[in-house]
Amino acid sequence: MSTAHEPLLKVEKLNKSYGRGMSTKNRVQILHDVSFELRRGQTLGLVGESGSGKSTTASCVMGLTGADSGLIEFDGVDLTKLKKAEMRRMRRRIQMVFQDPNGSLDPRFTVADLVEEPLIIHGASDSAERSRRVEEVLDRVGITVKQAQRYPFAFSGGQRQRIAIARALVLKPDLVVLDEPVSALDVSIQAQVLNLLSDLQDELGLTYLFIVHDLAVARLMSHDIAVMNGGRIVEAGTSTEVFENTSHPYTRALLDAVPGARRRAKALAAAGDGPSQEGL
Amino acid sequence: MSHASLPLLSPRPASPDEAPVLAVRGLRTDFEARTGTVHAVRDVTFDVRKGQRLAIVGESGSGKSALAMSLVGLVPPPGRVVGGSISLNGKELVGLDDNGMSQVRGRDIGLVFQDPMAALDPLRTIGSQFVETIRVHQDVSVRTARKMACELLAEVGVNDPARRIADYPHQYSGGMRQRVLIAMAIANDPAVVIADEPTTALDVTTQAQVLDLLAKICDERGNALIMITHNLGIVEELCDSVNVMYAGRFVESTSARSLFETPAHPYSQALLDCVIDPATTRRGAMPAIPGSPPDLSVDEPGCPFAPRCPIGRNEPRCATERPEPRTLSTGAVVRCHFASDITGGEA
Amino acid sequence: MLSTILKKLGVSVATIFGASLFAFILLRKVPGDPARAIAGDTATPETIAALRKSMGLDENILVQYGKYMESIFRGDFGFSYSTGTPVGTLLSQRLPATLELGLLSVIIAIGAAVLTAGMAVYSRRRWPDKALRISSSLAMGSPPFWIALLALMVLSIQFGIFPGPEGRLSPGVIKPPAVTGLFTIDSLLAGQWATFGNALWHLVLPAAVVALGPFAFLSRLYRNQLRGTLRETFVTVARSHGLRRFPVFNRHVAPHGLLSLLPAASLLFADLLAGSLLVEKVFGWPGVGSMTADAIIQKDFAVVQAVLLLAAILYVVVTLLADVLMAAADPRTRVGAR
Repeated sequence: MSTAHEPLLKVEKLNKSYGRGMSTKNRVQILHDVSFELRRGQTLGLVGESGSGKSTTASCVMGLTGADSGLIEFDGVDLTKLKKAEMRRMRRRIQMVFQDPNGSLDPRFTVADLVEEPLIIHGASDSAERSRRVEEVLDRVGITVKQAQRYPFAFSGGQRQRIAIARALVLKPDLVVLDEPVSALDVSIQAQVLNLLSDLQDELGLTYLFIVHDLAVARLMSHDIAVMNGGRIVEAGTSTEVFENTSHPYTRALLDAVPGARRRAKALAAAGDGPSQEGL
Repeated sequence: MSHASLPLLSPRPASPDEAPVLAVRGLRTDFEARTGTVHAVRDVTFDVRKGQRLAIVGESGSGKSALAMSLVGLVPPPGRVVGGSISLNGKELVGLDDNGMSQVRGRDIGLVFQDPMAALDPLRTIGSQFVETIRVHQDVSVRTARKMACELLAEVGVNDPARRIADYPHQYSGGMRQRVLIAMAIANDPAVVIADEPTTALDVTTQAQVLDLLAKICDERGNALIMITHNLGIVEELCDSVNVMYAGRFVESTSARSLFETPAHPYSQALLDCVIDPATTRRGAMPAIPGSPPDLSVDEPGCPFAPRCPIGRNEPRCATERPEPRTLSTGAVVRCHFASDITGGEA
Repeated sequence: MLSTILKKLGVSVATIFGASLFAFILLRKVPGDPARAIAGDTATPETIAALRKSMGLDENILVQYGKYMESIFRGDFGFSYSTGTPVGTLLSQRLPATLELGLLSVIIAIGAAVLTAGMAVYSRRRWPDKALRISSSLAMGSPPFWIALLALMVLSIQFGIFPGPEGRLSPGVIKPPAVTGLFTIDSLLAGQWATFGNALWHLVLPAAVVALGPFAFLSRLYRNQLRGTLRETFVTVARSHGLRRFPVFNRHVAPHGLLSLLPAASLLFADLLAGSLLVEKVFGWPGVGSMTADAIIQKDFAVVQAVLLLAAILYVVVTLLADVLMAAADPRTRVGAR
C-alpha cells in the first residue's frame, strides 16, 4: 500500500483533439499538454468555464475518451496502455458521479437494484454479501432500507444525487471523479451533498477529482486547484495559493466575476485600500 | 459571515407617495395536479415603483417562477391565478382575457428568461424575430422595425448589428443570445422588466457581463426591474430591495441593505450563510440548511420553514400557528413569530 | 459536407442493388415453375426443359441475376409472358395512372393530417385531440383493400356519389391528348373541362382510400411534434413579447411540425406503395399496382421484378430528396456557426 501524499493519479502532457479526417486544419485541439497530480486522500478542483476542457479531461481519466497523446498514471499504472479487460478491472477503482442524477439513474429499477448493479457487473456473486454492502453504503449516504425499495422518481434532486454517490461508492473505489455533482441542486441542498462528500472522503480515505465551475464550491472542497481555460491549465497550486495569491489574469477575472464578490472588490478598490486589480 | 462592513448600493426606492407602477395584492396561483392542488403562489403582496430594482429570492419550488409567469398571465396549464390583484398603472390585470394580456406583455412588462439557448426560434433569423416583436406593439414598417432592432442590438453590445441581424440563433453564443433577448424585452420600452434567473445558464464571466448590461439598461431607461434569482450575490450587486420567498410566500421583504446587514427571518439568515466568497473562505464544511423544501400541495397550519428552522424546530407555536407579516423597526416585513430586530443583529 | 453526400449516395446505390438482388432470389425460390406456367398444363417435360433453357432458368442464380442486371442497364426490363408485351412498354402505359393516384393521395394525406392535427392541437379543448387519436387508430388498423371495398359499396353503389370500379374515366369519355399522362392535368391543358371533372370524379375516392393509412401516421407524427414544440421555451418567449396564440402557432410552432414530416417521406412512400397495390385492383384502376397484383398471381416474374426495382429506386430517390430538403430547410444545417 502506498503512503499518503504520493500521487494516486498523475496526468502528464495530455492532448486531445476532435475533428473529421486526417488533415490537421479541420481538427480542434481540446486539450493542450494538460498535466496535474492528485495526491491520495485529497481533492483536486478542476475549475473552468464551459468549453475549458475540464470535462474532457475527466472523460479521459475515466477511459471514456481516448487521448491523442500523454500519460494517465493511476496508482503507478499507465491507463492509456491498458487493454480493454484490464481497464475494466481498473474501472472498479475509479468511479464517477455526474451532474444530472436523473440521467444516470434508470427509472425502471428500484434504488436498491441500482446501487447493487455495479456489484453484479463487477462479479460479486454472493447475494447476501451484496445486499449487506448495498445496505451499508445506502445507510452511509442517508437512505433507509425502506426508502431503497422505491424508484428514483420518488426522490428529490438532492436524494437522487446521494443515491448516485452510493452507486459510485459501493465498489469501494480509490478515486472518484465528481463532474459538477451539485450544480443542478439548490443552494441549501448543495451544502448537504458537499458536506456528505467531505465526510465520506475523511472516513473512507477517498481521492476526488472534482470538476466544478463554481469557485466557492471549489474553494470549500479542494486541497489543490487547477484552473483550465481553452484546453490548458493556466494556473495550479494549493487552494490558498490560487485564490489568495492569484497570479494568472484569467483566474483573477473568474474571481472578480463572482456576483457580490465583484461588487465588494470594486467598492474596496474605490475606497483605496483594496487589492490591486492587475490583469483586468 | 458578516456582511455588515460591506458598502452597499445606495437604496433608491422612489418617494413612497409616488404611485407604484405595479401593485400586487394577495396574489394566489394554483396548479391542479392529479395528486392534489399545488399552491405555488400564496398570498403575495408587493409594490414596484419606477426605477426600482426588486429582487425575488428563492430556491426551486419556492414559487418564484410561477409568480413571474402569473404577473404576465403565462402560467402554464394546469396552473392558473386563483385570487388577488395585479394592478399595472391602475389597470387590473387579473381576469383580463388573453388578447388584453397580449397588449400588456412586451409593451408594459418585458420578460427575460433563464435559458437563452432555448429562448429563440432556431428556424427564424434574429432579425425576423426581432421585427415581429417590435411590430406587435408599434405600427411601423418592417424597414423601420429593422432599423430600430439594429439600434437596440448595438445598445446591448452586439457588434455589427446590421450584419448580425440576418444571422440565425445558433450563430450566436449563449451570452450574445441573452443580450439579444434583453434587447427584445426592452424593445417596446416596458415600464417593468422581469428577469427570471437570466444568468443561471451562463458561465461566470459571461454572467457578469449580462448583469452589467441589465444594470446599464435600467439606469439609462429608468424602467423597474424585478430580478428573480436564487443567487444572493446577484441581489447584492444589482438590487435595492428584496423579497425572500419560501413555500409560495414572501417570508421577508426589505431593503437589500437591511437583508445583508440584519437578516430577520431565519431562512434569510440561513441563505446568507450559504453565500461563500471564494477569495476569503477556507476549505471546510459548508453551512447547510437541514431537510428539504415542503410539499406545496399541503397547506400546513404552521410556518412552512419550521421543520428546518433552528428556532422553529423546538417551538410548538411554529408548528401550529401560521405567522402573519409583521413590520420590524428596520422596515422589514417578516413572516416569523420570533424574528425581531435583535435576532437580526445577531445573525 | 461533400463526404456526407457521397456516403448517402453510396448507401442509396447499395440499397437499390440489395433490394433487386433480394427480390430476384426471393422470386426464384417461391414454389411454382414459371416455365410450366407458360407452357401450359399439357406440355411435355421435354418442352418445359427446353423452355427453361431458353429462359435461362437452368443457370446458376447469380449468373441469372448478372444477366438480368446487364439487360436492365441496356434499358430492357424483360418480357411479360402473360400479356405478351415488353415490361418497359407495360410500365410506361401504367405508370401515369399510378402517379396521378399517388400524387393526389399524398396531397390529401398531408393536407388532412396538417389541418386536423393542427386544429386538434391549437384547440385547447380535449375532444378534438381525442377524436383525432381515435380516428387515426381506426385508419391505421383497417386494411386499405377492405376500406376500398366498403367505400365502393356505400359511396358508389349505395349512394352513387362516386363512380363504380370502372377505371380512370367513364366509358365513352375520350382520353385527353397525352402530355403528362395524368388525365386531370392533360385535360386542363387541353381546356377540356368536362373530361377534367370526370377524371377527378374517378380519382377522388381511390386516392382518399390510399391516403387513409398515410394520413393516420402523418397526423399522429404532426400532432406529437406540435405538442412538443408548444412546450419549447421560445414559444413562451414569443408569447411574452405580446404575440397572440395564433401568430405564435403559425410562425413558431407549425414550421417545426412541418419540418418533422420530411424524414417521414420515405415511410410515407412505402405506405402509399403497399396501399395502392390492392386498392387499384378493387377500383379497377389501370395502374402499376393492379398490374403487379395480376403479375404476382400469374408468376410473371419479369413484371414483378421490374416493379420491385422501380420501387427501390423511387424509395431511395424520395429518401435522398427528403434529406436534402431537410438540410436546406433547417438553418442549423444550412448555415454554419459563426
